[in-house]
Amino acid sequence: MMKKPCGTFDETYAQDMSYIRTVFRGGLLVVLFVILLVVFPIFASDYMLGIMNLIGITIISMLGLNILTGYCGQISIGHVAFMAVGAYTTGILSSHLGWPFWATLPSAMLVSGIMGLIVGLPALRIKGFYIAISTLAFHYIMLWVILHGGDLTKGVWGLPCDPPELFGIVFDTEGRMYYLIMVLAVVATILAFNLVKTKFGRAFIAIRDNDIAAEFMGLNIFHIKALSFIICSMYAGGAGCLLAHYVGMLTVEQFPLIDSIWYLGFLIVGGAGSITGAILGAFAFRIIAQVVLFLSPFIGHLIPSVSVSSVAGFTQMLFGSVIILFLVLEPRGLNHRWQIVLSSFRLWPFPH
Amino acid sequence: MEFFPQLFVSGLLTGSVYALMALGIVVIYKASGVFNFAHGSIVAFTAYLIWFYVVDLHLNPLFTVILTLLAIAAVAFLIQRFILYPLTGQPVLAAIVATLALAEIVAGFVTLFWPGPARTYPAFLPTGTILLGTVVISVEEIVNLLVCALALVVFMFFFQRSKLGLTMRGTAEDHQLARSEGVRVNRIFVLAWFIAIVMAAIGGFLMAFMHGVNQEPLIALGMKSLAVVILGGMESILGAVIGGLVIGVLEALGAGYLDPILGGGTEEVFPFAILLIVLLIKPYGLFGYKRIERV
Repeated sequence: MMKKPCGTFDETYAQDMSYIRTVFRGGLLVVLFVILLVVFPIFASDYMLGIMNLIGITIISMLGLNILTGYCGQISIGHVAFMAVGAYTTGILSSHLGWPFWATLPSAMLVSGIMGLIVGLPALRIKGFYIAISTLAFHYIMLWVILHGGDLTKGVWGLPCDPPELFGIVFDTEGRMYYLIMVLAVVATILAFNLVKTKFGRAFIAIRDNDIAAEFMGLNIFHIKALSFIICSMYAGGAGCLLAHYVGMLTVEQFPLIDSIWYLGFLIVGGAGSITGAILGAFAFRIIAQVVLFLSPFIGHLIPSVSVSSVAGFTQMLFGSVIILFLVLEPRGLNHRWQIVLSSFRLWPFPH
Repeated sequence: MEFFPQLFVSGLLTGSVYALMALGIVVIYKASGVFNFAHGSIVAFTAYLIWFYVVDLHLNPLFTVILTLLAIAAVAFLIQRFILYPLTGQPVLAAIVATLALAEIVAGFVTLFWPGPARTYPAFLPTGTILLGTVVISVEEIVNLLVCALALVVFMFFFQRSKLGLTMRGTAEDHQLARSEGVRVNRIFVLAWFIAIVMAAIGGFLMAFMHGVNQEPLIALGMKSLAVVILGGMESILGAVIGGLVIGVLEALGAGYLDPILGGGTEEVFPFAILLIVLLIKPYGLFGYKRIERV
């Protein structure tokens, strides 16, 4: 449901469903697209491109979590474990069997999706924090399996992974990787936008808001919940596949439990239950991390008793405080603030 | 097979600490309906705090206990007043994310102020071992078990006999009814957090005393107690005790018999495997209330 400028009326269902409803909005998207894919990669340094690549992967992953948690209301603390499944599937297929990127991406998504289905199965009988705990258990078990996978996952030594190759182009620099990740992030966003408009998207929202009423309306709760788990973990698997190709070397330490917590927390910071919110959350997550990285030498100067290695603790405290502040003061997240800004522009100077 | 009694007994000894930890989670859940994911971090925090008092400040045991209790009361008040009270009436997701974020804040605090390698408490117990048949038990473990048993008895007595404990149980039944009887519900929540953190502190101290004050294992300890709570049933104090002992024994047996086959570290993940199976078969645990869910 989108707010429209004064005088714009929907006369057909197609108009009602469309995202680009005004010339201004379409123009804005085209400008954003050109900046994102043409202007930014020309002027940005490799470091900036690296940050954007990470943000792109985070966006894909966050979109999946948003469908599960934001739309369907099931809480997952094992999101990073699903990314690990996708990443290690990619790593095994690419380094042991030499599969190309166009084959590893769908297989990573498929394997993650199956894992998501298995973890989602208890969702038939339980809800709320019980599901959260079952995903937590999945996280510990999955990481243990990866660590003790022997030659297959090369546990503590790390699994190498080649840069992706598509149509004869090897994506081995930050700039080339940027195009791959951004195109996939845009595709993932469009898919998510459309998914929540389908009958499944509306079923997710119905289950989140009131599951008894949803079943009364004729929805098969178990199927829909399992579907949301599968979609969420397929997004995570795709993000994991990109991450594996991007970093080139997989270790278990890249998938800590704490990242799952940050994904969940920053989904709330961005605004759970809206696609824009998930994207804003991904940006907030990575940008705050960069700011802390930039500030950490100064913190070391200000408080000499704090050693450089313990700045990680400061990051943890800051992230946690940001999440709690948003929960208490603005539970609808950055997206809500953004909508307020948008509507005040639209209504200026008269409150119609 | 001579291996079995040894594993069983050491599992029971570890399990008694798990039971203590799990009680902390059950108390908070019963009182306020919040599932506390921050328990592991709080266990680590209290263990480091006690280490700070004893080693850095050279305080004697009495002052250590008093100061620790004061600090715990302050933490309990801060958590309830500034994090959970404003979240009253929000969906369950808010409380879960709040305790997860709290876990990271506390863990970050520990990393920030007590970085570096593991620490140890000064030894004040006689070291040595006792031989019971074929089973070897160290004196520390026996003291450990006695402290756990004592804490459990005090805990039971508090909730069965004392007026405050009965008030807390009444509040757990129905918040509105308790309010109408003149109970300050928010104070009861603070008290629940206080009791839970005291339980965490005792368990954390015992474990840290035997294995060193180290952040990662102590947090893992708190996380395993989540599995204990699920096995025993969320609302049941008896379930937490039995669940703790069962998980402790199963974990020790699993580590003893499966480690040579699977290559080590099974005790880290065994409780979680049990947890998943319990959730599939008997989601409300051994002694939990079976809520009738139509969906």
